[in-house]
Amino acid sequence: MKGVERHYEMPSGVVKALDGIDLTVKEGERVILLGPSGSGKTTLLNCLSALDSPTSGTYTFGGDEVPSQNSEQMTKFRRNNIGYVFQFFNLLQDLTVLENVLLIQELAGAKDVARAKELLSMVGLSEEVDRFPGEISGGQQQRVAIARSLSKRPRLLLGDELTGNLDSETSASVMQALIESCEKENITAVFVTHDEKLTKYATRVIRLDSGKIISDETTQEA
Amino acid sequence: MSSLLTKRLYRNFLRNKLRLATVILMVSIAVFAGITFGGYASNLEHVYDVMYEDDEQGTNLGDLWIDNKTTVWSKQDADDFCDALASNWQSSYPSLDACESRLILNGAMYLNSSDDGIAGIWHGVSSTDTIDRLWFPDTNCCPGEQATTDTQIVLDAHVLDTIDVGLGDEIYVGVGEGKVVFTVTGFAFHPMHVYFAPEGSIFPPEEGTFVVGYLTDEGMARLSNNTLASANTIMIDIEGTPKFDLPNTDEFEGEELAAIKQTFVQTAEESGLSGRIMDRGEQAPVEFLRQDLEGAKQTVVPFTVMISVISCIVIVLTLQRFIQSQAREIAILRTLGIPRSSLMVGYLMAPFSIGALGCLVGGLLGPYGMNFMLDFYEDIIGLPIVERSLPTSLFVTVMSATMFVVMISGIVPAYRIARLQPLSILSGSNDVRVGSSFLQRLTNKMPTMVGLSIRSSLRKPIRLSMTLLAVGISLMLFGSIQMMTGSLEETIVGNLEDEQSWDVQVYIQSGGEADVIAWAQENNAEYEILIEVPYGQIVDSSNTIRSLYLVGLEGYGEASMRHVNLIKGSLPTTDGQATEVLIDEGIAEFVGLEVGTSTSITIGTTEVDVDIVGITRGELQRTMYFVRSDLAQSSGVNATSVYLSFDEAGGVDDELSSISSGIIERESLLRGIKSLLEQQTNALIVMMGLGILFATAVLFNTLIMNISERDTELATLRVLGASTKQLTMILFVESLLIGVLGGLFGVVFAFLGAVGLAASFSSWQFFFPVVLDSYVAFRLLLVIIFISIATLPVGVYRLRKMDLVEKVKEFSN
Repeated sequence: MKGVERHYEMPSGVVKALDGIDLTVKEGERVILLGPSGSGKTTLLNCLSALDSPTSGTYTFGGDEVPSQNSEQMTKFRRNNIGYVFQFFNLLQDLTVLENVLLIQELAGAKDVARAKELLSMVGLSEEVDRFPGEISGGQQQRVAIARSLSKRPRLLLGDELTGNLDSETSASVMQALIESCEKENITAVFVTHDEKLTKYATRVIRLDSGKIISDETTQEA
Repeated sequence: MSSLLTKRLYRNFLRNKLRLATVILMVSIAVFAGITFGGYASNLEHVYDVMYEDDEQGTNLGDLWIDNKTTVWSKQDADDFCDALASNWQSSYPSLDACESRLILNGAMYLNSSDDGIAGIWHGVSSTDTIDRLWFPDTNCCPGEQATTDTQIVLDAHVLDTIDVGLGDEIYVGVGEGKVVFTVTGFAFHPMHVYFAPEGSIFPPEEGTFVVGYLTDEGMARLSNNTLASANTIMIDIEGTPKFDLPNTDEFEGEELAAIKQTFVQTAEESGLSGRIMDRGEQAPVEFLRQDLEGAKQTVVPFTVMISVISCIVIVLTLQRFIQSQAREIAILRTLGIPRSSLMVGYLMAPFSIGALGCLVGGLLGPYGMNFMLDFYEDIIGLPIVERSLPTSLFVTVMSATMFVVMISGIVPAYRIARLQPLSILSGSNDVRVGSSFLQRLTNKMPTMVGLSIRSSLRKPIRLSMTLLAVGISLMLFGSIQMMTGSLEETIVGNLEDEQSWDVQVYIQSGGEADVIAWAQENNAEYEILIEVPYGQIVDSSNTIRSLYLVGLEGYGEASMRHVNLIKGSLPTTDGQATEVLIDEGIAEFVGLEVGTSTSITIGTTEVDVDIVGITRGELQRTMYFVRSDLAQSSGVNATSVYLSFDEAGGVDDELSSISSGIIERESLLRGIKSLLEQQTNALIVMMGLGILFATAVLFNTLIMNISERDTELATLRVLGASTKQLTMILFVESLLIGVLGGLFGVVFAFLGAVGLAASFSSWQFFFPVVLDSYVAFRLLLVIIFISIATLPVGVYRLRKMDLVEKVKEFSN
């Protein structure tokens, strides 16, 4: 990202959610974005995932410019490159654990039952594949969400407060499962969180305030 | 505090304009339908009573009749009968107010001396007659006055807009004895011709091809070359209206009239008069109308119930969903410490306001709907409905019932939500549900996207069941009428259109067939003589004497010009010991006769044993088919008409007109039947329209609710990379599935509705067969699938409009 800005027109005036972001994420890095509410971290994540379009600046991914105007092209970009884990898991209640994973593969046009089961096994859910989301715990659901987001081999995994709805013990196990999966699959990851304790899982910690990067620290080698 | 809460709720409701409009619309429709159909039924109640009344305005419909159209009685015969009846009259009977005679003849009318003529009935009725008088209602319908001289004629008001003739015009009239000129002095209705069809025909002919004229006794004598006051019909008027038996019921209601009728029969025998003796229930034109009216009123009740049920389902589903969408706000307000009672005030006020607004709209439009229906009935029967009113009690009943449903639909879900723990709503644990294992097993071999579509469609079984029920009932309204009409078209029109080869049916006076045959031979026309007489009688399974329409055909099979649709047995021959006959399926059902059984019938005064050799389909009235020679022997009538089939150049000419007493073209008859079926369908078009409107509203409502509830799910998939095309496909499969389920459900309901309608309409006089018409069924299925899929653009529009950034924010809050 180079000189990325995201402005919102509000009745009170223009809000600069992102104000000149210069950011390069290398392959295999696990970046955590920290910052107070309104600092711009979720907006940055949305721009990274092509859910939102920068007002100005450039965003390239693997050397190619990321589409920012055409909704279908932005969706295609996400489908081919991005995995996403939500705070509230957002699993489909009518599908079993396994089917939730398979659906994303189907959408990406590469259904692979063996890989789906392998991923579920990797996050410790090999016994739960035929259960519905409503039948398993929150931590287990978030692990399903992780397996789901990895199932299509995304190049970039994004997570927004992905442990925000879990207790600390469950958070730790979910993050552990996530890091192991990312390492094993060599997936680059960017997570947004308020929780300083999660920085230990990152290779790089970026702090934002008022839409600007105020610190960028590499904590361990990717 | 509560006023602010109520204000909040109102603003929230107003933000959901589409949903709010749906509920108000359905309340309005429920009230509109209730008032329209309730008012219609209430006004129909007395529509004929006004005309039949024995007062200055009414026609004083007779109570008993004897007629014989194959003979003519002299004035002396008629007077002797009346005198004998007066002397036989028992003192215990209500008084005999009048005994009068009429001459009624079939014939034709010509607007000028050279045209082909219009089939007609010429009915003697003088201004001094007191029974079955002419009716000039106090509306603008009927100009002129009654004929008073032997050169004047009054035409039936039914022809006012269909035949180009006016007051003071001269017309030519014939009864097979040449043409006589009369001057038109007026247009009026007559109780025997309100059902405007030739005698014996259940179908009103095509407009402009049939006429009835009313002449003085002198005029009839001049027309027919009979002596003055000759008659073929005698009628009596009894004080009050003694109850007569209703032919379409199993009970015998005619106790009051039974003894009098017996005296009437006995007097006729003593006076040497033979003919049909009829009370009001047996007088076909009167009974047709009574049953038609009863059918119209009967139809109103189930249709109103159906409309109310559908409206209720939509109101319940929509309001429930509406209130449920408030769950989060209710939980927040409860968390802030607002008591349940304060919250509930708003949830009492909101449904009340919605219901009141809907009632106001429906209440204002209802009277228009009622008048539209009454106007329609007027158009069909051709008779003005003079007195119209709308009882206040109807408004009160309809509106209070509707308000009750609205209030309950609004209050119950709000109360339930208000009772839930706010935390469980705010944490979302209240929404957590477990998918169905059964559906999972059923669809686990399918692609996940297809499985998801199917499971999503079926995830709310109660809503889906109610939707299918509402669609089913909607199709009962829309489809059952179509199915019944389709069935009638297939059996009756199809038979006449495809299976008969005659071009015209030439009616004749007794012995007139020889002239018509001679004409046919001269003009290279093929001919076939036949007998059609309406005076057969049979005793049915409830021991009631029923009238039979007897038909004698020269032969059956390929060589005959009139084919019968034989559904069981074989065709009659003259080979058997007893007379072989065919009966229509209505007789088979009502009398309980089967192929191979024998029974007795009465033809005039002669009892005849017949063997049933086959059963036919396609006759609305109860018909028994004979070989003509057998019927001629039993009835003493050799022929009543002749079928003619022309070559390409052939057709009716002046000579044929002058030797006939009426000519009916098959094409014209066909158009008349089609027009009647169309009219009957049109009469129910409001209900059909409401049916399809409901089916659309119900499906749209449910599918849109389904889609809006799935915003989160669809947004998730969209964030995870599902394209619009992929999501559209999921929605398409859902719509298709619900459409197919709804369509199948609807077809079953429509068929059951058609069977129910046919059963309620069917009686001895009218029998409606119901045959499942696959074309109609398929069309209904397609209509529902189309409506269902038509919601797709709304779903796609929502998908495209979806703000994913906002949705993702919601996921994290």
